[in-house]
Amino acid sequence: MLKIEHLTKSFGAKKAVDDLTLHIAPGEIYGFIGHNGAGKTTTLRSVAGIQQFDEGEIRINGRSIRTEPLECKREMAYIPDNPDLYEYMSGIKFLNFIADIFGVSPQERKDRIHDYAERFELTADLAQPIAAYSHGMKQKLAIISAWIHRPKLILMDEPFVGLDPKAAHLLKEMMREVCDQGGAIFFSTHVLEVAEKLCDKVAIIKQGQLIRSGTMEEVKGDDSLEEVFLELEEDSSEE
Amino acid sequence: MLKLLVKKQLMEVFRAYFYNSKKNTSRSKAGIIVMFGGFIIIMAGVLGGTFAFLAFNLCAPLVEAGIDWLYFAVMGLLGIFLGVFGSVFNTFSTLYLAKDNDFLLSMPIPVKDIMVSRLINVYLLSLMYSIVVLLPSVIVYWITVPVTPTVILGGIVLLILIPLFVTLLSCLLGWCVAKVSLRLKNKSLITVLLSLAFFAAYYFLYFKAQGLLSDVIANAAVYGENIKGAAYGIYLFGRIGTGDLVAILLFTVVILALTAAVWMLLQKTFLSISTATGAVKKTVYHEKTAQQKTPGRALLGREITHFLSNPNYMLNCGLGIILLPALGIFMLIKGRELVEALESVFSFGAGVTTILICVALCMVVSMNDMVVPSVSLEGKSIWLAQSLPVRPWQVLKSKLMMQLLLTGIPLLFALVCVFGMIPDGVPVRILAVVFCLVNLLLLSLFGLFLGLKFANVKWTNEITPIKQGMAVLIIIFGSWIYCAAIAGLYLWQGYKIGPAAYLGILIALDGLFCVGLYLWLRRQGCRKFAEL
Repeated sequence: MLKIEHLTKSFGAKKAVDDLTLHIAPGEIYGFIGHNGAGKTTTLRSVAGIQQFDEGEIRINGRSIRTEPLECKREMAYIPDNPDLYEYMSGIKFLNFIADIFGVSPQERKDRIHDYAERFELTADLAQPIAAYSHGMKQKLAIISAWIHRPKLILMDEPFVGLDPKAAHLLKEMMREVCDQGGAIFFSTHVLEVAEKLCDKVAIIKQGQLIRSGTMEEVKGDDSLEEVFLELEEDSSEE
Repeated sequence: MLKLLVKKQLMEVFRAYFYNSKKNTSRSKAGIIVMFGGFIIIMAGVLGGTFAFLAFNLCAPLVEAGIDWLYFAVMGLLGIFLGVFGSVFNTFSTLYLAKDNDFLLSMPIPVKDIMVSRLINVYLLSLMYSIVVLLPSVIVYWITVPVTPTVILGGIVLLILIPLFVTLLSCLLGWCVAKVSLRLKNKSLITVLLSLAFFAAYYFLYFKAQGLLSDVIANAAVYGENIKGAAYGIYLFGRIGTGDLVAILLFTVVILALTAAVWMLLQKTFLSISTATGAVKKTVYHEKTAQQKTPGRALLGREITHFLSNPNYMLNCGLGIILLPALGIFMLIKGRELVEALESVFSFGAGVTTILICVALCMVVSMNDMVVPSVSLEGKSIWLAQSLPVRPWQVLKSKLMMQLLLTGIPLLFALVCVFGMIPDGVPVRILAVVFCLVNLLLLSLFGLFLGLKFANVKWTNEITPIKQGMAVLIIIFGSWIYCAAIAGLYLWQGYKIGPAAYLGILIALDGLFCVGLYLWLRRQGCRKFAEL
């Protein structure tokens, strides 16, 4: 589904991502863990086709994001860490805009908006301007907009921030549904307990370099993910 | 603390002068000097030059007639008008709508420091607009009369206190807008309507002032006596610049008292207004099947929605939408008389009236520059346009289409109204129409080019890209200079080749520039947008 090969991106003299290689297969929920500034957002933005990168290759279902960006983008959705949406639109206008861009038919979008908005308890607020939404409501709207065209790959940067417990639980269910239907999820998080329970695979990144990746069992063994993460952080600091 | 906040405000306003968004680096000292030099040339050279010319014409006759106070009264009021016109619309958003209000209020910063830093921003903007009238006026007066210490003091008081007075007026108007908008549902529309009423009044006074000024020079003594008798305040106001110590003292005391009153009013209400969410009734959502649009139409709809949602955007970048039809209707009513008058004045060369009509239309067209800030207005939500499956050119094209549609339709209406008034044959009339349309295309492409070149998506207040960016400054003054050059060249030499050939050459030149700009936008422009 997603192949990241030797991804490298520098900002001036600083390497934000350094020779990163990751493969994500259909049906996998892949967690991406690292300290602040480790390179998670840069990686996700590169995969989403927002950030131009210096070296390496990113392929989505065999297509390169560099040479076939539109085809790649049609198959995925991206939710950033801060849901800065079009505040001058109402929630429903925004969802219709996204559906238009992805060519979702009127009936399908109506059904999906109805379904997701009901699940996230956002229906009553859909006619309100996004400017009047709270952070959590914006996050819910961003999630609905990401799901509206049924993408095969969903990229999310800290998706649980701002969500109430009920919405967070619902999002976890929806993530699993996507993977059960053959899709894949690649998301970053600082909440290691969530990653441990939810992810099939996990990658730990530090200062732009991948320091460990694999299935949850391979990465953590008998320890908790938190213990492994802190241990790896200390080890690489000593080196 | 205050110094830091003021520095932050100024850094935001003049960000493009210090930071090169193309290279993602700070500008060199030389680069900063060049940027500020260009800004000063536009403000002091173009605007200041115009008012210096007016001051030279007005000062000597009024000083000779012994009513130099009337000179300062006229120029001072002009300064106030220009200052209020320039700063009133952004005072409300600067004070109450700044995106970092919540952030700053959450920190251990005294509220009064936040207010003062915002007010200094408004003051500097008022100063920038009013000083282009006041400084030439004062200098011309000092050249014309023997300079004494009290005359110098009067000039300095005017230069400092008139912008302060403008700031106070802007704050009061901004406060009224804030109070009203908290209770309104269709805020954008009502704000626009109220502002347009203000514009109409402003232009009415402005055009009346042209005739009045000529009349004042011709009948200075009579006007002087009448104003002195009926409006003693204006007489005293005018006396400040002449060095009348009583007038200086009175004016200073009045302004300081007003400042204190406005400060108290703002201090009492700032927190509640800037943190209010409004008590507007919630819009009920009714589920319905939406009509499917193509990505191109959806992007165009997004641009128009953004434009219509923001009164500042509409007022600063879309006045031509109303003024073009107004000009057309005016020409239908008064066009014949105007054309006859122009024909008799410019009887030396054929086609002058046609060129002047084209120039007038192009000048009004240039009041629509919504495409210029549209790139920067993407702001923090630019990730959406970059992550959705649309090419950068599709996004840029939608911005271009918004400008072409919102200006093209009113322009076509105006052209239909004007077509019959053009005192030349049908071929020249058709060329005039083509020229106006090509000029609109050029303005739109150039606007988008500037919007990309000076793109700044890291603003905290929408007014920054709408009003204070370098791109907006260049498009406004650039199009005025371009229009003036077209008229000036024709009056100087162009009339010798006639309107048809002149318009033909202009169309060809504009067309060439359009092709160049289009190619740049398709290649470098798209790349630049993708990298923002």
